[in-house]
Amino acid sequence: MKSKFLALVLLFSLVSFSCSYAAEPIKIGEIATVTGDFAAYGVAEVESIKIAVAEINAAGGVLGRPLEVVMYDCRTRQEDMVNAARRLVEQDKVVAAIGPSGSGLCIAAAPVFNRGHVAHLGTLPTNPLVTIDESGKVRPYNFRICFLDPYQGAIMAQFAFKTLKAKTAAILYDVSSDYSQGQREFFIASFEKSGGKIIADEGFRGDDVDFRSQLTNIKDAGADVLIFPFMGKSLPLAVRQARELGIETSIVGGDGYGDFMWEISEDTLRNTYWVSHVDRYDPTLKEFFDKYLASAGTECQEFMNAVMAYDCVYWLKDAIERAGSTEPEKIRDALEKTKDLKLLHCVLTMDEYHNPKDKDGVILRCDPEQRKALFCEKIRPE
Amino acid sequence: MSFTFSTFVQQIINGLSLGSVYALIAVGYSLVYSILLFSNFAHGGFLVVGGYACYYLLTQWGYSVPFSMLGALLASGLTAVVTERLAYKPIRERTPITLYLLIASMGVNIIIENLFVVTVGGRIRALPRSTFPTGVFNLWEGITISSSDVLSLVTAVIFLSLLQLFLSRTRWGLAIRAAACDIKTAGLMGVNVTFLISLVFFVAGVLAAVGGVFLSVRYSLYPQLGNITTKAFVAAVIGGLGSLPGAVAGSLILGLAEMLTAGFISSQMRDLVVYSLLVIMLLISPAGFFGKKISEKI
Repeated sequence: MKSKFLALVLLFSLVSFSCSYAAEPIKIGEIATVTGDFAAYGVAEVESIKIAVAEINAAGGVLGRPLEVVMYDCRTRQEDMVNAARRLVEQDKVVAAIGPSGSGLCIAAAPVFNRGHVAHLGTLPTNPLVTIDESGKVRPYNFRICFLDPYQGAIMAQFAFKTLKAKTAAILYDVSSDYSQGQREFFIASFEKSGGKIIADEGFRGDDVDFRSQLTNIKDAGADVLIFPFMGKSLPLAVRQARELGIETSIVGGDGYGDFMWEISEDTLRNTYWVSHVDRYDPTLKEFFDKYLASAGTECQEFMNAVMAYDCVYWLKDAIERAGSTEPEKIRDALEKTKDLKLLHCVLTMDEYHNPKDKDGVILRCDPEQRKALFCEKIRPE
Repeated sequence: MSFTFSTFVQQIINGLSLGSVYALIAVGYSLVYSILLFSNFAHGGFLVVGGYACYYLLTQWGYSVPFSMLGALLASGLTAVVTERLAYKPIRERTPITLYLLIASMGVNIIIENLFVVTVGGRIRALPRSTFPTGVFNLWEGITISSSDVLSLVTAVIFLSLLQLFLSRTRWGLAIRAAACDIKTAGLMGVNVTFLISLVFFVAGVLAAVGGVFLSVRYSLYPQLGNITTKAFVAAVIGGLGSLPGAVAGSLILGLAEMLTAGFISSQMRDLVVYSLLVIMLLISPAGFFGKKISEKI
């Protein structure tokens, strides 16, 4: 018995030895917001990419070669993002790069990836300018797996106007963020088109932690619904401060929701609704979240980021296999032609602007008793 | 923009409550400045140490609130003393130029911030709110004040009064005041200057911890929390670096200016106004409201 075991160990080590030498790993880049404002989102992405890569490698890798991730933290800062992108493209020579979720970050690094001819897959950057430039031309090396802010703004407007029956809205937004500014604009456009009215519009700067003066003005305006199109630590703080000032109206926000908000906002998250790309308690995702729990040792809180990042790895794997090569240009071409690819959270088809086609938006409702955001409504705006 | 009296009162309350947090931090800055004549930028780091100490004592080790607070105060105080011994004392003994101390303090701040990033991660945390009062009081006509505001205001007043008592009624307080006048002469008069400086750093660290715990309760806890000390520093300069009443006055002015600008002019103008106030103050009266008129200030 013992000798059998030894032989097995020997065989296994020989196989892994020969594997590691015969097949050089394929390097893929990852940039995540492990620290800074969006730390929670980045940590989830790192963990789920680790899971996806381990699964793919265990199943024989891609084109017979294992994947290797080169990860950099961009600290939720554009200058660090650009530096990280440069290192991935110039020094590490990755075949493609994944993440992070912030639109401003992805936009800042877009020129680096396009000059270096390395495809970049955004996990959750929803601003239109991530994949097209200001003149409306497609950025050839930028892709994303999530829907966009105009779409998200329309979802929020439709939900506020039709489901919540709000006639007037007040907005608090982050003036220093492309994501927030874009979403605000698109919300206003669709809400006003439906016949709603914006009666307060207040801004703050990204690193602010105190929003009470803006919220006091918003309270005075007395709108039917409060719109919070931003993300990061500002989100739970603003919700809590709004409730502390006695604002009890419904709050509708974009896809910045993460379960980390409960720790800060607690039951002040009552009566809040968030646009999401996935439903956390969708049974088809359960297996993934179980794996996440086993691997990370904690429940997956920032589930949108985790699912998107996980799917990005499989999307990239599919593209490399279809390209039949690890040349970054060929991978880019394959990414562009992605069609009917079955992923964990969706069936992915790229449109001509490098955005996914026909994705549904989900509205989540926070339930203070269970401390969870539960499925509320599926919306595909007209 | 609508202008009502209740909004105005609410904005004043918001401003005072923000100002009281600035005050706790600014006083620590000023205290160190008054003795060593340099701005200790590691103060933000001490604050973060206090916040995390309280967080872990409460959540991981399950201690009670008063004990955790005490632990946080000690942790920050000791960090401040150790920082002074390791980073500042060798420099102090070698050169009289305080610019080196200032640069060292910036380094210490970055080290502390990144130590937390590496060890506990950049995740945003919150002190369990059940352990601190969370209610919101409705004062009048929809004007509200949260209990964390009241608590931070009351704590600020208590700690600042204790500090004032310590400085005015004790022998070591007298020594600190003497050293603030002239540290060399104080040394010649028999004051143990090394111990005195450690004591000052300990007290500054304790105040930073109080600020840190309250910032974590009101907002949240993350390694970059110390960045808020930039505002407290501005407040200390407006009030007059080195002057404790000045630091308090400057903080309240700054908190009010921020909230009133955001409320009645434009929320995006907030920082513009704050830093313009700093520049104007430096142009008109470089020593601030209560500062000592001396030629060199860094």
